[in-house]
Amino acid sequence: MHDLLDDYAHSNALRDTSPRLRLLLGLGAMLLCVASATPIAPLFVAVTMSLITVGLAKIPGRFYSALLLIPLSFSLLSAAVVAFVHGGGDSLFAFNVFGISLGIREDGANLALLLIARTFGGMCSLFFIALTTPMIEIFSILRSLGLPDFLVELSMLMYRYIFVFLDQAAMIHSAQVMRLGDAGIKNTLNSFSMLSSVLFLRSWEQGERLIVAMDARCYDGKLDLTEQSGKAEPKAIFAVMGYMIVIAAIAVLTRGIRLL
Amino acid sequence: MTSILETKNVVYSYGDGTEALKDVSISLEEGKKIALVGPNGAGKSTLMLMFNGILRPTSGDVLFRGLPLRYDSAYLRKIRRKVGMVFQNSDDQLFAPTVYQDVAFGPVNLGFSVEKAKKYVGYALQYVGLSGYERRPPHHLSGGEKKRVAIAGILAMEPEVIILDEPTSNLDPASSEEIMDMLDELNCGGKTMIISTHDVDLAYRWADEVILMENGGVLRRGTGSEVFGDAELIKRARLKLPIVVDLYKELVNRGLLSDSRPPRNILELTDFMESRNRGMISRVAFGTIHICNVDGEDSEDIKSILEKSHVSYTGAMGTNAKVLAEQAKIPLDFTYGVIDKCILKALAGKTSLIMTSGGMVDHSVKRIRTYCEDSGAKIEVVKLSSLVESSVNSDRQEMWSQKNSTKPIEAVQ
Repeated sequence: MHDLLDDYAHSNALRDTSPRLRLLLGLGAMLLCVASATPIAPLFVAVTMSLITVGLAKIPGRFYSALLLIPLSFSLLSAAVVAFVHGGGDSLFAFNVFGISLGIREDGANLALLLIARTFGGMCSLFFIALTTPMIEIFSILRSLGLPDFLVELSMLMYRYIFVFLDQAAMIHSAQVMRLGDAGIKNTLNSFSMLSSVLFLRSWEQGERLIVAMDARCYDGKLDLTEQSGKAEPKAIFAVMGYMIVIAAIAVLTRGIRLL
Repeated sequence: MTSILETKNVVYSYGDGTEALKDVSISLEEGKKIALVGPNGAGKSTLMLMFNGILRPTSGDVLFRGLPLRYDSAYLRKIRRKVGMVFQNSDDQLFAPTVYQDVAFGPVNLGFSVEKAKKYVGYALQYVGLSGYERRPPHHLSGGEKKRVAIAGILAMEPEVIILDEPTSNLDPASSEEIMDMLDELNCGGKTMIISTHDVDLAYRWADEVILMENGGVLRRGTGSEVFGDAELIKRARLKLPIVVDLYKELVNRGLLSDSRPPRNILELTDFMESRNRGMISRVAFGTIHICNVDGEDSEDIKSILEKSHVSYTGAMGTNAKVLAEQAKIPLDFTYGVIDKCILKALAGKTSLIMTSGGMVDHSVKRIRTYCEDSGAKIEVVKLSSLVESSVNSDRQEMWSQKNSTKPIEAVQ
């Protein structure tokens, strides 16, 4: 029915490794991408992160490439704008539109390349986190980082019921479409407003049932938050550290190089 | 028998004055399987919510072990631990993001230490056959699995009474039967079970006691045969007759059977037919029923027992046995109503094997012996394990022989 990132996060091959280490790997690579002055390090991150996600975490390649198409469109568009607007350096090429000269200069082209590389490096790292780390593990990490219990518990309950309401919304939507609720803009808007109001009422009722369900099981203000995720193996820690050092080294060593 | 739950003149009305329960006085016996049946809006769910203090009667009393319920929070926590409730919609009940957290919810709120809670959760999940599902999110489970997790969440608090509101609604037939089999197993372990249902066949077959409700009151209570034997009453309550009773009544109308007590199940119905035709249940040769206690056996042991015993049919009763059968890749012919099915096969001259565990072994032996005494059939029961074989003759002599032998199976053949 739905192809949810969360489903992959629960079934990926790295599920039993330490979530902290996975988060560190993703976030670290992302920060190094942003910090790098040239596109080489971010491109390296994009390629290696994709290999890790598809090869080690066993996320289907087809699904992964479809996912990458999302940042592709907007990064190309914004890179094009940056390339044309940014000045400085030798002109690479130029053309006339109604007497106005449009052209790309060296600085603009370099910046556009850097932008694309950073976007992809960052997105690949983010997808790595999203596809290997279920929300629930992120919650327990947040809690151990000192976020108050009630916030974590609230987010956990919200997270759980997202899926219940996702199903309900999909069902209401199908029921509307089956009776031509999507014929014309007026109908569509009308259907959407009904869907929202019904969903609101249902979530209200669900909330009341939730309280009854919790009370029926002796609710005393406690939700179990014990984490039972895998421990970080020394081998894995060294691998992640080594990987970080390689990215940092590439970023530092290539900082003087200009591609164009 | 002591009464564990009791209502005295309980009335419950909603804010707008409509009465959901009108003067309900019933007492429920400990260790029984009780089914509340009735049409939609009869007050079944409302009554069930009274039993663990979620709803408070407008007037009248609810008693647990003879003492009226109090409605202060300390007492409510105590009663809700003793009387566990499984809701109709599992999504209402499973609110935690993983199976482990959901099952641990009760123990954690009861103030158990992390280790103790972990132990209870492990035990409960093993009981419902879902060990290894700890880290799954509920939205990745099937309907039957969700129901099992909901039951595990209640079991982890060690209740004395378990109430299930429509336990089989929205489940496929196989899942429903497995859930009902699990409820039997729990009952065998001494827990009082209360369910509500519209499914008359299920209530008739399963329950020791049926409470027929209509329009906020109790119409009739008694054994399945007493309640469902009254066709007029059933019609009034907008239910239908269980198929076995319906068939029996039509056979009586045609003069094929004499009118007495309606049969409880297919086994009894076929027995009625046979004794009417032949005067008694007799055979040249009855089939044998092997009962294998799977406790402490691994899948290899079970396979070797199965290979040597030449049975035509295999059934598994209880979650442990089913899990083991799945591990050993043993194809199962029966997964519910196993004892009856095996008796039916034995009457047809076929040999069968029941895999089960714990107290269910003696329960099975007793059930088959009682059947033989009542009907005059002579079915041999053989208890099997990889080490010990004992033969239980169901004749009047009640011969219990227990032989220690390293090659037990040859003795049987």
